[in-house]
Amino acid sequence: MSGLVKSSFSLLKRSIFSTSVRAIVTTKQLHVKEIREQTVGSTLVVEGVPVPSPRKDYLVRAENLVPVPEPLVKSEQPPCYMCALGLEVKHTDVLILSQFVRSDGCMLPRRITGLCRRQQKKIGKMVTMAQKAGLMINLTPKNCAKDPKKRYQHKKFNTYFDESTIFMKRIPKPWEKFRR
Amino acid sequence: MSAFKRVQQWATFARTWHVFDCKWQDPYESAFIIKKYLMGLHKPIYHPMNDCGDVVVCINSRDIALRGDEWRKRAYFHHTGYPGGATWTLAWELHNKDPTMIIRKAVYRAMKGNLQRRHTMERLFIYPGEDVPDDIMQNVTNQIRQWRLVPTRLDHIPEEEVKKFPKIMEYPEDYVLK
Ligand SMILES: [Zn+2]
Repeated sequence: MSGLVKSSFSLLKRSIFSTSVRAIVTTKQLHVKEIREQTVGSTLVVEGVPVPSPRKDYLVRAENLVPVPEPLVKSEQPPCYMCALGLEVKHTDVLILSQFVRSDGCMLPRRITGLCRRQQKKIGKMVTMAQKAGLMINLTPKNCAKDPKKRYQHKKFNTYFDESTIFMKRIPKPWEKFRR
Repeated sequence: MSAFKRVQQWATFARTWHVFDCKWQDPYESAFIIKKYLMGLHKPIYHPMNDCGDVVVCINSRDIALRGDEWRKRAYFHHTGYPGGATWTLAWELHNKDPTMIIRKAVYRAMKGNLQRRHTMERLFIYPGEDVPDDIMQNVTNQIRQWRLVPTRLDHIPEEEVKKFPKIMEYPEDYVLK
């Protein structure tokens, strides 16, 4: 009974928040919408026009590759598209990380990226690292000076990060590696 | 001694000059690399009593990179000797005052403290930028490999290359581009 109630709730939720569903669509897939505003006479017409995605021709998926790469983490569930590729992404790989951000450098939410929980966390942290290191300075809000050397106090100097600290609960102090 | 042996003797004991580019390098990690060349540990003829260390010229020391939050967490201690003369300077404050000091202190600390250390340090030249005096640069014959790759900024990559790079993430079908 409780399962039935839960499933009916989720159906209701899906009908309201339609962006979270990516399963079945009747319209042509891989389109993004563009908002256009026109003035016809004295009325303002705002319409969302589907336009072809700029990324369509350059898209890489693990199932289309020969040979199919090994996923990074082995599990019973099918891996998400990022895990299936088996890439080891670093925070300096700005060409990959810039695909997951908006034009103001903000990380996209999970309902848009479609990543699994772990990858969303990992990529979100690496986007933060790349922004702090000033590697994606052109993807920042408008009031930014667009030059990492003009930042305030310690932020104007170069910084690099260690990706192995992403899932650590507590980052060990430098002297702790000598402790037995 | 034959002519060949004489030249081999010169070549063995001659000082080599190395250049090390500190751009985006961790000073504490690269200190162990620089130390090896300064003391001559990379040579098969090494011995502590054998004066076989090389000369290292560090350039771009203003562009060193520290890990994580070390710029504001690492403090440098100094005591003038007078009561109340202790000061703790943060790494970014020290780097503001003297952009060569962090790398010099890191190399000094990487070596064992003995009477030779001060003389070995005299063979280390550090320059904050790329302008090195000609009388030093003309001796350089070797470049030391950097500890980590220098990252490229996204706005320094040509726009065409960014557009043509293989894409992993695809927008959902009703996403409004921002
Ligand atoms: Zn995944």
